[in-house]
Amino acid sequence: MSSQRLHPITIVFTAIKTIKDAIIPIIAMFFASFQRIASTYIYLGVAIFLILLITFSILSWYRFSYRVENEELRIEYGIFIRNKRYISKNRIQSIDLTAGVVHRLFRLVQVQIETAGGGTDAEASLKAVKRVDGERLREALKITEIQVPVQAGESINPSRHVMLKNLFIAGSTSGSVGVILALFAFSFAKIEQFIPDRIFESTIEWLIGLSILFLFGLSLVILLFLWLLGIAGTIIKYGNFTIKKNNDELFITRGLLEKKQITIPLKRIQAVGIEENLIRQPLGYVSIFAEIAGGSMEKGEDFSTILFPIMKASEVDEFLQQFLPAYRAESNKVAPLPKRAAKFYLLRVSSLFIFGVIGMAYFLPSFVWVAVVLLALSLLLGFLRYRDGGYRLEGKCLTIRYRGISRRTVSMYQKRIQSLEKKQHKIQKIQKLATMKLSIIGTGGSGRHYALEHMDNEQANRLAGWYSFRNEKPKDKK
Amino acid sequence: MRKPPINRIATSAIKAWRITAIIYVSILWLLAIAVTVLFIILDVPIWFVFIIIAICLLSTYVFVFIFPKLRWSRWRYELFEQEIYIQHGILIMSRTLVPMIRVQHVDTKQGPILKKFQLASVTISTAATTHEIPALRMEDASNLRDQISALARVDEDDV
Repeated sequence: MSSQRLHPITIVFTAIKTIKDAIIPIIAMFFASFQRIASTYIYLGVAIFLILLITFSILSWYRFSYRVENEELRIEYGIFIRNKRYISKNRIQSIDLTAGVVHRLFRLVQVQIETAGGGTDAEASLKAVKRVDGERLREALKITEIQVPVQAGESINPSRHVMLKNLFIAGSTSGSVGVILALFAFSFAKIEQFIPDRIFESTIEWLIGLSILFLFGLSLVILLFLWLLGIAGTIIKYGNFTIKKNNDELFITRGLLEKKQITIPLKRIQAVGIEENLIRQPLGYVSIFAEIAGGSMEKGEDFSTILFPIMKASEVDEFLQQFLPAYRAESNKVAPLPKRAAKFYLLRVSSLFIFGVIGMAYFLPSFVWVAVVLLALSLLLGFLRYRDGGYRLEGKCLTIRYRGISRRTVSMYQKRIQSLEKKQHKIQKIQKLATMKLSIIGTGGSGRHYALEHMDNEQANRLAGWYSFRNEKPKDKK
Repeated sequence: MRKPPINRIATSAIKAWRITAIIYVSILWLLAIAVTVLFIILDVPIWFVFIIIAICLLSTYVFVFIFPKLRWSRWRYELFEQEIYIQHGILIMSRTLVPMIRVQHVDTKQGPILKKFQLASVTISTAATTHEIPALRMEDASNLRDQISALARVDEDDV
C-alpha cells in the first residue's frame, strides 16, 4: 500500500480544533487590547492569525501520511519535527471506525487504533479517511488468523441487527420512564385531592387554583416531552445497532447520527449479563451487557458495555450460543434463596417506609394512604428481590441473579473474579445465612462488585471452596 | 469457608485504634459543648443537654473501650501460596479470599499514630479491589509485603 494522506476535510477539522483550543486566550487578548490599539491593528492581527492558522492546518495535513507496510501501520507527521510512528500489526488491540455528522456527509470515517498500552501514547488516530479506505485499512491490519476459515458447521460470521420496533420499545421502557409513568398515573388520579375545595371559594384563590392546575398541566407536558426525548435518544444512540462476530472479536456498530464502531476482543470480556427492568420484564424484553477490561467508558454511559440493547427473552440463549458460546446462561435456572432469607429482604427495603407510615399517621393522618401505598410497593420490591435472587455453578462458570430495581443475571468465570468476600452478621449467623460479594474488573477499568445477599451459609461456603485456589489441601472442613 | 485464618495482628493495634478513636470522639465532645452552650443561651429545656451528654458518653464508651478490642480480636489473616485469606468485621463478620495471581501490587504504609507504636499497615490491590491489613508490627508488615509480591506472579493474559 502506498503512502496516503487523509481527506482534505482534515484541514478544516484541524483549524476548528485549533480555534477551539485557543478561543479563551484570543478573547482575552481581544478585550485587553480593545481600547488601546487602533482597530486597523486588530484587523491586521486577526488576518495574521488566520493566515498562520490556515498555513499550519494545510501543512499539518500535507505532512501527515500513513501506509501499511511490512505488517505495520506507519504514520509520518509533523511540520518542523518529523515524527514516524510504526505500530506493529500484532500489537493492535482494536480498530474503531467512527463517523460524526460531518463525516457522514462526505462518506468519511475516523479510524482509531488502540494498542494494549494503557496510556494515550501508542494510540493512533486518523481524523478523516474515505469509508472504503478505512475499511480496507481495517482489513489490512487485522490479525492474520482471522483469514483462516472458522471450524466447519458453524455459520462463519454471525451477525445480528436490532429491529426498529424493538428499539422503540426500548426507548419507551427505559429506566427513567417508570418514574415518569408513575407520576403521570398518580397526578391524573389524584389531581383534585391536592387542591383543597376551599381554594375555589373566592375568585383570587380560584386564580391560585388555576395557576396550580396550570403548573400541573405544564409539568405533565414536560414529562411527556422528556419521555419522547428519551425515546428519540435511544433510537439515535442505538439506531442501526449491529453486532458481528469474527473468530475471537465482536464488532458493534451503532448510532443513527454519529456512527460508532466498537471492537471487543473476546478474551477481554470479564462477565456477561442480562438485564430486565421492571417494565420490560413483564413484556418479555431484555438487554445484554458485558464488563470489558480495558474498554473505555463512554460519556453518559454509567455502567457496562451494551452488547445488545433489546431483544426478546426467548432469543437470549440463541444469541449467546452464537456470539458467546462460553457464556451460555439458560437465564432462568438458578438455585433459589432459602425461604428464611425472605424476611431480611422484606425488612431491608421497607424499614424506612414503616417509619414513614408511623410519621404520616401522626402528623398528616389524611395522607397516610400515600405512605401505606409506598410501603406496600416497597414490600413488593423486597419480595421480588428475594424471589429473583439465586446462583448457579457450572464448572468454572458462576452465574448470579439479583435485583436492585432491574433484575440482572450475570455470568463470570472463576479466573475473572478478582476477590471473593463472605459477609455475615450475628442474625445471619443464627439463621445460617451469608452475603457473598464478588469483585471483577468492570468496563472503564474500575472494580465492579456483585453481591448475592442472604444466601444459604452452606452454599456460600461451597462457593468459597469453588473459588479458592488452594485445591491441593482438603477443603471440606465444614 | 473453612477455619478462620490463624495470624492475628499486633496487640498494640488496640492502643493505636484507641488513640484514633479518642481524637474522633473529642471532636464529638467539642460539638456537644458548642451545642450545649447554644441551648443554654436559647433557653432550651435542660433535659436536651442530658440527652446529648448521654449520647457522647455512650459513644465514647463504645468507640474507645469496646470496638478497638473487638476489632482486634476479629482481625485475622493467613497467607497461602495461592491466596490470601482475611477475616475482619465487628458487627458484620467478613471473610475474603484474594488469589495471588490476581494481586497487582502490595504497599505498606504508616501514619503518625501507627508510627508511634512501630506499626504499619499492608494494602493489597487487585485490579478491582483493595484490601488492607491494618496495624502489623513493622518488620512483619514488610515481610508480608515481600512475601506477597514474591508469590504474586501476574499473568497478563488473564486480565
